[in-house]
Amino acid sequence: MAIIEINKLSKTFKVKIKDKGLKGSLKAIIKPQYKMVKAVKNISFKVEKGEIIAFIGPNGAGKSTTIKMLTGILYPDKGNIKVLGIDTKLERKKLAYQIGTVFGQKEQLWTHLTPYDNFKFFGAIYDIPESRVEKKIEEFRVLFELDEFINTPVRNLSLGQRIRCEIVASLIHEPKILFLDEPTIGLDPVVKENIRTLIKRMNKEYKTTIFLTSHDVGDIEKLCKRVIIINDGQVVLDDSMENLKYHYLNKKIVEAKMKEKINLDDEEGITILKDKGYNLKIEVDTTKKSVADALKLLNPDKIVDINIANIPLEDIISNIYKKEGTKK
Amino acid sequence: MLMEVKNQLKVSLLAIKYAVMREMLNKVTFITNIIFMILNNASFIIQWLILFSLKDNVGGYSFKQVMLLWGIASATYGFAHFFFKKAFSLSDTINNGKLDVYLVQPKNVLLSAICTDVDVSAIGDMLYGYIMLFVYGFNISSFLLFTLFVICGGLIITCVSVILNSLSFWFQKSDIIADTGNSLMTNIATYPEGIFKGVVKILLFTLIPVGIANYLPVKIISEFNIYLFVIVIGVTILFIMLAFIIFNKGLKKYSSSNLMIARI
Amino acid sequence: MKKYWFIFKTEVMSNMQYILNVLAGFIGYFIMLFIFFNLWKYIYNEPNQIINGYTMSQMIWYVIITEILWSVLSGRKYCAKIIDDVRGGNIAYNVNKPYNYIGYCLATHLGSCFIRAIMYIVLGMFIGLIFLGNFPSLNIFSILAVLITGILATVISTLLLTFIGLFSFIIEDANPFYWVYSKLILVLGTIFPIEYFPTFIQPILKFSPIYVVSYGPAHLFVNFNWAEFINIIIFQFIYIIIAYLMCSLVYKIGVKRLNVNGG
Repeated sequence: MAIIEINKLSKTFKVKIKDKGLKGSLKAIIKPQYKMVKAVKNISFKVEKGEIIAFIGPNGAGKSTTIKMLTGILYPDKGNIKVLGIDTKLERKKLAYQIGTVFGQKEQLWTHLTPYDNFKFFGAIYDIPESRVEKKIEEFRVLFELDEFINTPVRNLSLGQRIRCEIVASLIHEPKILFLDEPTIGLDPVVKENIRTLIKRMNKEYKTTIFLTSHDVGDIEKLCKRVIIINDGQVVLDDSMENLKYHYLNKKIVEAKMKEKINLDDEEGITILKDKGYNLKIEVDTTKKSVADALKLLNPDKIVDINIANIPLEDIISNIYKKEGTKK
Repeated sequence: MLMEVKNQLKVSLLAIKYAVMREMLNKVTFITNIIFMILNNASFIIQWLILFSLKDNVGGYSFKQVMLLWGIASATYGFAHFFFKKAFSLSDTINNGKLDVYLVQPKNVLLSAICTDVDVSAIGDMLYGYIMLFVYGFNISSFLLFTLFVICGGLIITCVSVILNSLSFWFQKSDIIADTGNSLMTNIATYPEGIFKGVVKILLFTLIPVGIANYLPVKIISEFNIYLFVIVIGVTILFIMLAFIIFNKGLKKYSSSNLMIARI
Repeated sequence: MKKYWFIFKTEVMSNMQYILNVLAGFIGYFIMLFIFFNLWKYIYNEPNQIINGYTMSQMIWYVIITEILWSVLSGRKYCAKIIDDVRGGNIAYNVNKPYNYIGYCLATHLGSCFIRAIMYIVLGMFIGLIFLGNFPSLNIFSILAVLITGILATVISTLLLTFIGLFSFIIEDANPFYWVYSKLILVLGTIFPIEYFPTFIQPILKFSPIYVVSYGPAHLFVNFNWAEFINIIIFQFIYIIIAYLMCSLVYKIGVKRLNVNGG
């Protein structure tokens, strides 16, 4: 059975519009004008138990609105949502016991208390008996390596440690699904890696389904097996990570440093991205030309240094966004 | 059901306990805040000494009764602002989208939203209330009645604030209405009912229930009256119900609305 | 001088956008007046009765003026800001600026009071007229005279608040001092005229700041005479000079400490 089922979901917002200047402000007070913005348009997808899903899209694409509908904060205008078989609109409390949420930019912890006390507070919110909360904390302490700081007030923790605690706090009630909204925002690379390890570990140990939004390609690449891309309120791509790469990765970037200047012309399957005489950067479409053929064009004897790479995932994703943008 | 209420109370009290611990981090500020609030309230005794030098009774109250009124008013204010501080800025919570955090928790949203912070100086208000009760004349029955009325009155002003602040679910700038309502309640509460007449007096026992929260308790402590007693208890329950009904209506509107007001 | 005029103007303009907030604040003022109106109507058996030299409408006009002076000042925020600047070390940024810090404080705060003053005066007069149906006998010159004492009163209040704020250079937290000052002005200077207090305190009150920041302008407004005007103005100038010197002194001491401790 699918753990999340979304069927033809839509949500429209009414947004106040205002002309410029004082006159516009006055007009907005007397006769406000509204514009309907379709934040989410008829989207459908399913998520299976134990998946780690990346739910991504540019700013304003409808990510937050969708997450808010999935967690029962907002009700949809049209369509159905079933999370763990629960209708999010009708049984908010029942749903709340089963899901966990971490909003990267909204802190839920008491900053003057230690993580330990905070975990106990969350235990009380979810009506978990004291003895079980303690056992749980002990378990997390070992599993997620919280030893160093479990008894330090949250306000004295580093940002990374705080986020770790935020995530662990949302696990106290053993949610079946965890919604993570931008969990690694504003963190340095080492800490990001830490958080990713934590997420992976919890997925492995507890089979927690993870629904993650992020702007960080690293998060998506390293954590997720499946990607759903949403743009302008619509699902534009719902595919496995492998497929995404496979489809878009038939292009390679070749960067070469040459002994001599060579002149290269555009031909089928090759696009010159940069040509500074000795330094070259070309894109090879492997469906049309093999990398070997491309290298021959460069004259392998004259190559001082070479680097052949996939197109960065970041570029792939922004390409998908752009493509959808121009379709309109 | 009973279990649910018990768990809810446990969480709310824990939240208040944690908030107090936060305030106690700086003990000097904690204590000066309380003491200064007591002194602040006490400074108004000068006003009443002067007024009573002009007239034997003000608005039908003797000096001691005014002190009792001050005690009730300050203790109800203190009770409400200590336990439910956020009820008095609820429209901020609503407008800034901070309700979302409580909506994903399996607890009552209103209680979670208003029991998350404490006002330390409110402790001073509560203490001052009891000091005034001693000035008025202490005995066990007046002490018990006083305590009961402080709880009732505190709940009434909290509920009025919740109701007015809930207007934010429907109208964006309604926090002005809520602030006005709250300052009306607190300012009028320390003046004897007899100085108000006509429509205003009717308002004080209906829309702006200062009369129920403050004037009736003074009357009942001065001279016990079972009917008035029942009215105070009844109105308190009524306001609690109204607050929950209106807030929950607003919450439903919040979730299903399609008005985007600083929601992102 | 031109510099401070410009600071003042900029502050006035940036406060223009908070007009709605000013109106919201005015509601609180209105409530207080409404209560006082009812209270005094109850205390006076009949409107022509005279208590301590005031008729009922003089008494209420008195409170209208003192409450305007108090509300316009919005002293709590201003004083708290200076205290924060001193304690947080922000004040160090002002040391090497090419202006006199006290002049700068005065210009900004008077600028932020300006819009509030206009609105409170207009609305306050309007409410008084509606509640009482009469206006004290004043002509254009005496109104101007009262206005001048009102402005000077605000200048003195601002200087005194600056002094209290800067005092946190010397003691850890000057907030309790603000508290005492504000209570004195509110309880002894705003809700009753000096004549209402026991005779032995009255002379003390007449030499206290209460006389120049609240009683003076309000008493002139309800019972104008030129002799008293001159008297008040003289006192106000003396107060301005003293308050300014006190501010400069504390500021100098403070800056010296900044230089030693490095902020």
